[in-house]
Amino acid sequence: MKASIEWLKEYSDINVTPVELGDILTMTGSKVETVDQKGNDIKNVVVGKILEIEKHPNADKLVVTKVDVGTEEIQIVTGAKNINVGNIVPIAKDGAELPNGVKIKKGELRGIDSCGMMCSVGELNLDIADYPGQIEDGIMILNRSFEEYLGEDIVDILNLKEDIIDFEITSNRPDCFSIEGLGREVAVSLNKKFKNPRGNLNKLKVEDKKSIEGLSVDIEAPDLCYRYIARVVKNVKIKESPDWMKRRLKACGVRSINNIVDITNYVMLELGQPMHAFDINSIEGKHITVRRAKNGEKITTLDEQERELDENNLVIADDKKPVAIAGVMGGLNSEIENDTETVVFESAVFYGGSVRKTAKKVGLRTESSSRFEKGLSAENALRAVNRAVELVELIGAGEAIDGKIDVYPTKQEVHKIKLDVDKINNLLGTKLSKKEMVDILEKLEIKVENDVAIAPYFRMDLTCLADIAEEVARFYGYDKLDSTLIKADTTLGVRNKGQKIIKKIREVLVNSGLSEIYTYGFISEKDLEKSNIAEDVKKYAITLQNPLGEEFKLMRPSTIPSMMQILATNANKKNQNVKLFDISRNYKNTNHQVEDGEVPIQEDILTIGMYGDNIDFYVLKGIIENILEAINVNRYDIEKEKNNRSYHPGRCANIKIGIDTIGTIGEAHPEVLQNYDIEKRAYIAEINITKLEKYSRENKKYVEIPKFPAVERDLAIIVDEEVEVGEIEKIVTKKAKKAKKPLESMKLFDIYRDEKIGENKKSVAYALMFRDKNKTLSDDEINVAMDEIIQELQKTLNAELRK
Amino acid sequence: MKEEIAKIGENSKNEINSCKDLKQLSDLKVKYLGKKGELTVVLRGMGSLSPEERPVIGSLVNQVRDELNELFDKKEKELKQEELKKRLETENIDVTEPSKKIELGSLHPITQVIGEVEEIFLGMGYEIADGPEVEKAIYNFDKLNTPPDHPARDVQDTFYITDDIVLRSQTSPVQARVMENQKPPIKIICPGKVYRSDSIDATHSPVFHQIEGLVVDKNISMTDLKGTLEMFAKKCLGEKTKIRFRPHHFPFTEPSAEADVSCFVCGGKGCKVCKGEGWIELLGCGMVHPNVLRNCGIDPEEYSGFAFGFGVERIAMAKFGIEDMRLLFENDVRFLKQF
Repeated sequence: MKASIEWLKEYSDINVTPVELGDILTMTGSKVETVDQKGNDIKNVVVGKILEIEKHPNADKLVVTKVDVGTEEIQIVTGAKNINVGNIVPIAKDGAELPNGVKIKKGELRGIDSCGMMCSVGELNLDIADYPGQIEDGIMILNRSFEEYLGEDIVDILNLKEDIIDFEITSNRPDCFSIEGLGREVAVSLNKKFKNPRGNLNKLKVEDKKSIEGLSVDIEAPDLCYRYIARVVKNVKIKESPDWMKRRLKACGVRSINNIVDITNYVMLELGQPMHAFDINSIEGKHITVRRAKNGEKITTLDEQERELDENNLVIADDKKPVAIAGVMGGLNSEIENDTETVVFESAVFYGGSVRKTAKKVGLRTESSSRFEKGLSAENALRAVNRAVELVELIGAGEAIDGKIDVYPTKQEVHKIKLDVDKINNLLGTKLSKKEMVDILEKLEIKVENDVAIAPYFRMDLTCLADIAEEVARFYGYDKLDSTLIKADTTLGVRNKGQKIIKKIREVLVNSGLSEIYTYGFISEKDLEKSNIAEDVKKYAITLQNPLGEEFKLMRPSTIPSMMQILATNANKKNQNVKLFDISRNYKNTNHQVEDGEVPIQEDILTIGMYGDNIDFYVLKGIIENILEAINVNRYDIEKEKNNRSYHPGRCANIKIGIDTIGTIGEAHPEVLQNYDIEKRAYIAEINITKLEKYSRENKKYVEIPKFPAVERDLAIIVDEEVEVGEIEKIVTKKAKKAKKPLESMKLFDIYRDEKIGENKKSVAYALMFRDKNKTLSDDEINVAMDEIIQELQKTLNAELRK
Repeated sequence: MKEEIAKIGENSKNEINSCKDLKQLSDLKVKYLGKKGELTVVLRGMGSLSPEERPVIGSLVNQVRDELNELFDKKEKELKQEELKKRLETENIDVTEPSKKIELGSLHPITQVIGEVEEIFLGMGYEIADGPEVEKAIYNFDKLNTPPDHPARDVQDTFYITDDIVLRSQTSPVQARVMENQKPPIKIICPGKVYRSDSIDATHSPVFHQIEGLVVDKNISMTDLKGTLEMFAKKCLGEKTKIRFRPHHFPFTEPSAEADVSCFVCGGKGCKVCKGEGWIELLGCGMVHPNVLRNCGIDPEEYSGFAFGFGVERIAMAKFGIEDMRLLFENDVRFLKQF
């Protein structure tokens, strides 16, 4: 909301600069967006008269002029074509500054001195529409009568000075969407008297009538229209508005149209109540109904656009058709025309939520709708319509007809709040007296009677004690509030188990050289396909009603496509070694939760993606093992997975704890890599941290360092290529256990293939270490156990002992 | 025999002195003092001596042996020293050659800022809470005093899954859930992802991060809020940071405020980051609206509370001097590695 200081001064004395005023109001809650001091950016531009125009000796397109600037005659070289001797023009003298930042200096143009510049409308940053007769690409020619002001500052002569403050109005303060409301805030903020120039409107009595000039009104939708008042003006003469009114409208950013329309806008700016004016003759049957639109009903609005409505939209209608979309915009069919003689002023109050939705639906957010949607006072509506009629008479636009049609089905409530001084002090942390509070409240026109605060009609936002406390705090000064520390029982601030796990995982990953990424949860159908995400995961994706675009349509059921996307971005930028991780969520509608109004499954997922030198499956596996060790997950299996199509079928494994699959790791499927234009092999992993949490033991326990020596044995066997070393390890472990020989460790130290061993065979060598924590093991007993182990390997795996 | 012994002594001393390495020295030791060493042989030959001569020769041999032992030890030390010296000389390396290391990875700037804020509030006794990102509208709006027709519910700002399920547009629903499930005292911060229907540009992203804080207990006041945030700002942005409250409006707090901090880049003098104002708008805050407490099953007559919330990206960008928010989500490894 823009407000000119000139207008605000009608409400309060202002003894500070516009910038200071802006700062003060910001601190009392009317946040200032900008302070625009118009005219301040034009310096040393004066009224001048052209005395001579001569050809330039060295340039065909230039002329040399002599100009009288009051105190002296100066020479100016210009290329302007629209000037004649005797013209009165704005002259930027040596040292002048223009709004576009240009500084004018004496100089030479093709060898001839030039001591200034003649200005165009544009160069003074003026609106050509405000200066009829001027041209865009020529010098501004001033009225001859300005000759008496030669040498005087153009800013003063054209009255260009205007200080305008633009406020951000919060949704709870529709009253501040008006000069009157802001004027009240200004007065209280500066501790000045609120002059209340429109106070007369509160006492004005206007007789109620059923009909005026044959016009009558009905409200069919009292839930959406709380009050509808109409007053009628006759013998209207449509013409331009007076300059003072046009100027104020312009300062607030509203274009002048004609006297009647300008009055509606002026009242809206002044009092915050949007008004509508229409020609009484355009109302069929002279009967106005406020009703819901019919589905598919159409209206062409004042901006000449046809709009389709539905039954959620409120319209002002005559007996045949809608003549306005309530609170949003009038219809073209009832527009004020130049020959309009009898005008109806409408001042109504509609339910804000409905106006907002309607404005949204028809795509029209107007000055009117943005006020209505905040919820307006029905009491103020009456003041507004009376003010409009007052203005009609003031500027001679027509004659008021006595009386009003006032349909007011739901009277505005008066909010009364018990003033509990202690509670306010407790809430604010202040020690204010009742008198201090009452003084503040009464300045804001909140009356206090018998310890009850009574909110004025324009402050419908005040409904509870906290609201009153805020008013007290605003004018006591937020900056005066102390800084204290909570006086309450000590609480413990610790991370919970899940949070600790995530912190640990991040540490391991960063120490392993991985960089963390952040990804959107959005994804497209295509992304899921590019990553070969399985059907039974895909089907859990959640569709947004209003996505930003097709590529952001789904909430991802898998984090793999997001990671692939980021790997692709890096590959595309030719980044050579890329090791990334992401800890974020998947979103899975596994059981129609969303349709049932419940939240879907959302798990924390660790996703890893890597490509580059020295990166392979086993590097990735090592990182995962380190993570599991770090968070104290001891028992898990890594099992081959051949059917996950996001991964290479020969290079993929599931991480399992019992029957619970907590993650998948592997090389990305070549098809997937191709889909993302990644040329190198990439390795990816997805680990379900949410599932992992329950397997992580929080406490570690010390195990005694062994006192007895270990017995070491090497085991080298030849097996078929397809035998997984994991199987060998399982058999060895099982047999050692059966033989009651504690196998402390089993380290694979060599895998070897050559012709001697044979085709499709491999030699696998292990270092086994047996140790009993209670005694020294003898060679003999280990030999027996080793024999059993070897026999079992021969039997089950067809293994051959390597000599 | 005396001469023989003296000769052995003489020879061996010469040989020891001219010995060049430890191997040679140990060979010498065997040659003279070993089981079949020259001196040992002499000692064995003592049987043929007369009883008078025996002690004389014996003590002579012992004397020579002791001398030799001492000499061997001395020489051994010397040679070891020399050898070490030689080794140290040959093992000279160029310390400016590149290191062998596992290159460290990096935490994303957003994680770093969240982590820093978490540490500060953990230290003040707050717990960290989280909740669903795909959230019920009732938690995202209704319980937070944002009734069905409130502008904040516009499709324009909020992503809807159904009319009842949304992508949370703030982390406040976590507060509502905690209040429903926990009796005061409540002291939590809720960091997390939030979603708003903004197109992607240098300062906007449809996905961003917030940290909100909530305290509910008996006698919690607005000055406590100010004190808490002042402490936080000093710890997070520097001890000299000042904080300023301005009145504002949020549906879920009353009284409400916006808090500015003195610019942590220029210290309040005015710079590009604070747009010359010396203050940076940091967060929104206020006293929990009694309707919100009531909606979450807490009696506003008995308890009061404060809440605050701010965007993580803005702080991360100001802190690290990142001018385009898109960099945070593009995840170019050359960007990530800098943090």
